[in-house]
Amino acid sequence: MSVATPALEVVGAGHVAQPDRPRLLRVSSLSVSFPGAEGRESEVVSELSYEIAQGETLGVVGESGCGKTMTSLAIMGLLPSGAKVSGSIEFDGKDLTAFSPRQWRNHRGREVAMVFQEPMTAMNPVMKVGQQIAEVLVKHERLSKRAAFGRAVELLASVHIPSPERRAQDYPHQLSGGMRQRAMIAMALACRPKLLVADEPTTALDVTVQAQILDLMLELQDTYGTAIQFISHNLAVVSEVAHQLMVMYSGRIVEYAPAEDLFANPLHPYTQGLIRTLPDIAQPMAELYTIPGSVGGKRPSGCRFSNRCPLADARCREAEPALREVTLSHHVACFKVN
Amino acid sequence: MLRYTFFRLVQAAFVLLVMTFLLFMLIGMMPGDPVENMLEGNPALTPELARQMRELYGVGVPLPVRYWHWLTAAFQGDFGFSSLYFRPVLEILGPALLQTLKLMVATIVLSIPLSLLLGAIAALRPGGWMDTAISFFAFASISLPNFWLSLILIIVFAVQFGWLPASGTPLADNPSLGLQIYHSILPVTVLTMFFVGPLLRYVRASMIETMSSDYIRTARAKGLSETTVIVKHALRNALIPMVTVLALGFGMLFSGALVVETIFGILGMGKMIFDAIRYVDFNLALIGLLLATIVTLVSNLLADLAYAWLDPRITLK
Ligand SMILES: Nc1ncnc2c1ncn2[C@@H]1O[C@H](COP(=O)(O)OP(=O)(O)O)[C@@H](O)[C@H]1O
Ligand code: SF4
Ligand SMILES: [Mg+2]
Repeated sequence: MSVATPALEVVGAGHVAQPDRPRLLRVSSLSVSFPGAEGRESEVVSELSYEIAQGETLGVVGESGCGKTMTSLAIMGLLPSGAKVSGSIEFDGKDLTAFSPRQWRNHRGREVAMVFQEPMTAMNPVMKVGQQIAEVLVKHERLSKRAAFGRAVELLASVHIPSPERRAQDYPHQLSGGMRQRAMIAMALACRPKLLVADEPTTALDVTVQAQILDLMLELQDTYGTAIQFISHNLAVVSEVAHQLMVMYSGRIVEYAPAEDLFANPLHPYTQGLIRTLPDIAQPMAELYTIPGSVGGKRPSGCRFSNRCPLADARCREAEPALREVTLSHHVACFKVN
Repeated sequence: MLRYTFFRLVQAAFVLLVMTFLLFMLIGMMPGDPVENMLEGNPALTPELARQMRELYGVGVPLPVRYWHWLTAAFQGDFGFSSLYFRPVLEILGPALLQTLKLMVATIVLSIPLSLLLGAIAALRPGGWMDTAISFFAFASISLPNFWLSLILIIVFAVQFGWLPASGTPLADNPSLGLQIYHSILPVTVLTMFFVGPLLRYVRASMIETMSSDYIRTARAKGLSETTVIVKHALRNALIPMVTVLALGFGMLFSGALVVETIFGILGMGKMIFDAIRYVDFNLALIGLLLATIVTLVSNLLADLAYAWLDPRITLK
């Protein structure tokens, strides 16, 4: 599986769903809210329920601000202080919401690791790259500093960074953006976590570098069998890697289905709009479609998409549609879908 | 790095040269005449002797000419005589400078770890009760005047309880280190109180900013303990802006030391410059003020070197 061209024209291809794998992560009714002004709470993630099987990739798509990062941080136990979480997160049979801070620290970096959006700022500017990778191994595998640094060099080699011995001695600013993201991936995979949370790992990169990083992630997934929660605001990027796709809008899941199913048969008006926004290789010069309106501002009553939805009617403005399974494994939250 | 240091030293030397001229002119315009002072103190001086003295001290010669004489002599290591102490100024400067440096070094050695500790604790939970208490302490440190705090401490610890001496200078001829420290407790406490407040405010602000940065989140995502995150990842980054603050604070500390010396009767630079100006000791005032310039120049140079050492992104060329 290779992502050869940056044009990402293979929309809808996705991976073949692998339904028989054992479950790794189960998120049920996860909500995250922040205390807002005048005692009002703002709920940024609402009633999220989804699963990830071992070795599988779940793509999470949605416009920026819809709660993708908060969802990933909740799974990592890294939400900013002040955030209120409810619901349950079950990982490999363990209930993460009941974890003590110490249990979280033993969990993070070993069982689950995260790659962030901004490779420029995600690394400590005053610490050598090799040392930053070695640190994880010292913590979780109890390696000596020297042995861990040696492993860090090997890890840099495994993410195809040329002259890894020299690069390990470099500081982050001496690496290009793409190389830094490779180093971040090496750092994340150092302890072979079961789940990798990749929060827009390619958004800050050039298109060609994006394709290389996607290739690398797929290659490493094949080698290590890591499950990935791959987040992006770009449906085309997600379509390259995901087995399952989850479309979020304003803190909620609006559609959740196997990737190829979702592309072949998008049911939610928002998903349909997202697919229409993708460039069409048959008419590359055609003007791009954009969904009218934006996600920000006050939430409308009823369905959260009702102020932008072409199909909205009176009922949509009164009640919120629940997420339900309409065909096998294909979930959607819309009144107009039968 | 070496080339950079050399270049900066040359630059500093040039600034120093300009400063000698400016200070010479400024002091030269001070009212008063050293010989007049001596005449008052010693009526036995004959007019003939006074004329000779005036010649010796260059009274009446145009300033730029006197400057030129002073400069050529200074380049040969002769900074002139003190009209107040009747000795070469360098001989008087040495011990005074040593006293002041002792005071400043002790203050800095205490202030840096103290401000790091308090600043980091305050930044841990902004708005928490520890933060509130520490911020109040910083506020007190910044607002209480040095002389006031000195007097209060003298009244309480020297006069009321008699635990500590009110004088910063031991009376013994060859005071032991212990005795010197004993006499320095109050002045160093005042200066530390004075210096820690602004420093810890910067540490706190810098730590709060650092703790919310992306790489701290990365460090936490690795499962590192909060102590490791703070000590290994946050502190060094938070320290980088501190270097500038320290370099700037050095001048402030110097002037603070001058006040405290005067109150505690320490024979340091403060008392020396004060007396020199008061008794129109031209050469002594000049060298004292020049030294203050040198202190500033050196601390700025050290700050730049420390920057490059702390932050690998900076290369000095
Ligand atoms: N510390 C915070 N306090 C309150 N609201 C926040 C905070 N951080 C993020 N948010 C809000 O949460 C929402 C979701 O943000 P995020 O998960 O970062 O979106 P995404 O990653 O999908 O772009 C946004 O509307 C954002 O304004
Ligand atoms: S429920 Fe109504 S408003 Fe919401 S997406 Fe469906 S049709 Fe549009
Ligand atoms: Mg985000």
